[in-house]
Amino acid sequence: MLKLQHISKQFDDKVVLDDISVEIGTGEIVSLLGPSGSGKTTLLNIILGLTRMDQGSIVFHDQDLSSVPMKKRGFNIVFQDYALFPNLNAYDNIVYGLRNKKGTVSEQEVQEYIDFLELQPHLKKRISELSGGQKQRVALARTLVTKPKILLLDEPLSALDGVIKESIKQRIQSIAREFKLTTIIVTHDPEEALTLSDKILIINQGKIAQFGTPQEIVHHPQDDFVKQFIIKQLHIKRQNIYNLFGEHYA
Amino acid sequence: MPNVKPEMRVIFTVILILFAAFLFLPLLILLVRSFESDQGFTLGHYMSLGSNRELMTAIGNSVKVSALTALITTILGFMLAYSIHCTRIYQPLKGVLKTVIIVPMLLPTITYGFAIMYSFGNQGLITRLAGRNLFEIYGLNGLLIGYVVYTLPPVFLLIHNAFQYIDKKFIIVSKLMGDGTMRSFMNTILRPLAGALGGAFVLSFILSFTDFGIPASVGGTYPVVATQLYQVMLGSIPDFNQGAVIAVLMLIPAVFGIWLLNYLEKWNFHYDKLSDIELPRHRVRDIAFGVISSVIVLGMLSIFAVMFIAPWLSSYPYDLTFTFKHVRDVFQSSDLTGVYRNSLWVALLTALFGTLMAYGSALLNVRTSLKARSAVDMVSMITNTVPGMVLGISYLLLFNGSSLKGTFVIIVLCNIVHFFTTPYLMAKNSLSKMNPSWETTGELLGDSWFKTVYRVILPNSASTVIEMFGYYFINAMVTVSGIIFLVSAQTSLVASKIKELQHFAKFNEIFVLSMLIFFTNLIIKLVCDAWQRRTSVRR
Repeated sequence: MLKLQHISKQFDDKVVLDDISVEIGTGEIVSLLGPSGSGKTTLLNIILGLTRMDQGSIVFHDQDLSSVPMKKRGFNIVFQDYALFPNLNAYDNIVYGLRNKKGTVSEQEVQEYIDFLELQPHLKKRISELSGGQKQRVALARTLVTKPKILLLDEPLSALDGVIKESIKQRIQSIAREFKLTTIIVTHDPEEALTLSDKILIINQGKIAQFGTPQEIVHHPQDDFVKQFIIKQLHIKRQNIYNLFGEHYA
Repeated sequence: MPNVKPEMRVIFTVILILFAAFLFLPLLILLVRSFESDQGFTLGHYMSLGSNRELMTAIGNSVKVSALTALITTILGFMLAYSIHCTRIYQPLKGVLKTVIIVPMLLPTITYGFAIMYSFGNQGLITRLAGRNLFEIYGLNGLLIGYVVYTLPPVFLLIHNAFQYIDKKFIIVSKLMGDGTMRSFMNTILRPLAGALGGAFVLSFILSFTDFGIPASVGGTYPVVATQLYQVMLGSIPDFNQGAVIAVLMLIPAVFGIWLLNYLEKWNFHYDKLSDIELPRHRVRDIAFGVISSVIVLGMLSIFAVMFIAPWLSSYPYDLTFTFKHVRDVFQSSDLTGVYRNSLWVALLTALFGTLMAYGSALLNVRTSLKARSAVDMVSMITNTVPGMVLGISYLLLFNGSSLKGTFVIIVLCNIVHFFTTPYLMAKNSLSKMNPSWETTGELLGDSWFKTVYRVILPNSASTVIEMFGYYFINAMVTVSGIIFLVSAQTSLVASKIKELQHFAKFNEIFVLSMLIFFTNLIIKLVCDAWQRRTSVRR
């Protein structure tokens, strides 16, 4: 259980996050959804420990992490651009962190992650030789072998094209189920958020617009912003799909 | 960007202290000394300048010869760059031009002067080939040739670089719109390059104005500011206050020039998207520029040719039999090999610590959120402005009584500060292009900051580090102006030794030592280039 309590953040005079309180259950996938500039990435960085919050606290399994530095929190992130190290090949990227934590992960476990993410054929490749989806999976593997307590993903699908997007989505879901890993995802795409996650935290101008399951959000939008920004976009998409396939596919 | 770590603060503090002690303090002392007299602070030294007839002549001469050099060099540099970018001359010739033009950069400027004497002097190689004395070389003409050869490589590189940002498609568009040759040339080449050409002029002017090696060798009785400064400081009656005043005078055009250079930068065109396009055929243009550019480069090389020939002959130009004697003499003289060894050490130490310092500064500047990190940008602007001679004098004034005087440490530090700007900008450019999340990722994977720098940042900028190392090494090897005031009998370097050998007219030794510097630099350059290529192929 991860509890965010009354988190606020200001950059200079601009309020980026204003009194955010949320509880996230273990093994849940939660999306932070909002337009650019809404503060969702800042919130992700605060959970990670990269950005300091002005007020509030973060409690994980009844332990207050608010002043625990990033490195000691035990969370890990996959950045939007993956931040893979181009001087190392795919395999060396995956095992990069193991040198610092000898004995925590056995070679067999590493192999399991590699098999699970279907990376075996790509291990010897340079980063520049990998496709976008393969890079994403290498970055996931590199993060997972460190056995993070919470997995953070910053716009994990934005750099990928159509078909790959769907398969990575499934992959993220199966990781969360398989390893009972709490996963927090930042995205600006309502469709992505609502089809991928158990719960969605919609943020608008630094405040929580709504926090709930996909059904709750679609059927009981709490304010105008959720209706206008989230639901309307989905309606347009649905209409476009109907127009393509015909009503009876609904 | 990662959070600020204590170790970042420590390194940053060390760097700032070094610059405070070896850049700001010396310059401050220089300024103070220029106002100082028996009666306390006074403008007297500056006031008395007007009555110093010789110095006023020297300033006039410096301005005149530097301006003339800048004009000629800019035109030649432009023609070379134009041949490479806008003509269809034989491809390999372009490669040769680009490589050969760099040659003068591998030699100390003081060598140019002696090469000119041996080429154009009464018994010179070119004089004999021409069958008569072409012109009087001591004084204006010799200086002009030397400065042009000295500043042509950097001027060419500057214009060559600017050409790479010009969209040549506009040449075609202009032709299709029915422009005549002149209008097309004005609009698609000259106007976009105006900033760079202005910059080239300023750069050539500053370099000529502040160089010491060339006037020291072929200046003759033609006084310029640099030789005046040397005489005042190290002549029979040294006058440090007067020297400080002249150094400040030398600093002023440099400051103005660098400011102008930055200003002109804004004039440059930056096309957002460049595309390669085939240039139209034009036989006359290609032949003309092929010939012109070959003549420029061959002319430059011919001046140096004598340097590689004379030391192998018994007594050039009277006895032209082949001999190893001079070369053997140099290698058997423990004095000269010792000087060469000194130079090697100084260049190596400069390259090593200079690269470390410039890389560290750039790393802290672009990849951390330290509060005062932009201070280093200011430092790099100042090091870019201060001429070597001025820096050297400032060190002399500040450290004269200290235990640093006459040590290798002070020479290495002077070189590191003197040549700081270019390697620093190289590192900054390369480091800022890298993924900003690497340090955070490394930290999450259990690395300390140092460890991520060593395991990820450094390997990914290896090519730049090698380039920085090469730049520092070669410049430390050839500089005369920076170290002429700092060497002692024990710390004598090749470039300064050449100045000494001049008094005894030992030109064979001068050329053998120059060849040594040249081939050392050439090897370093080739090794660095090959190594760089290897690290970038692996990417």
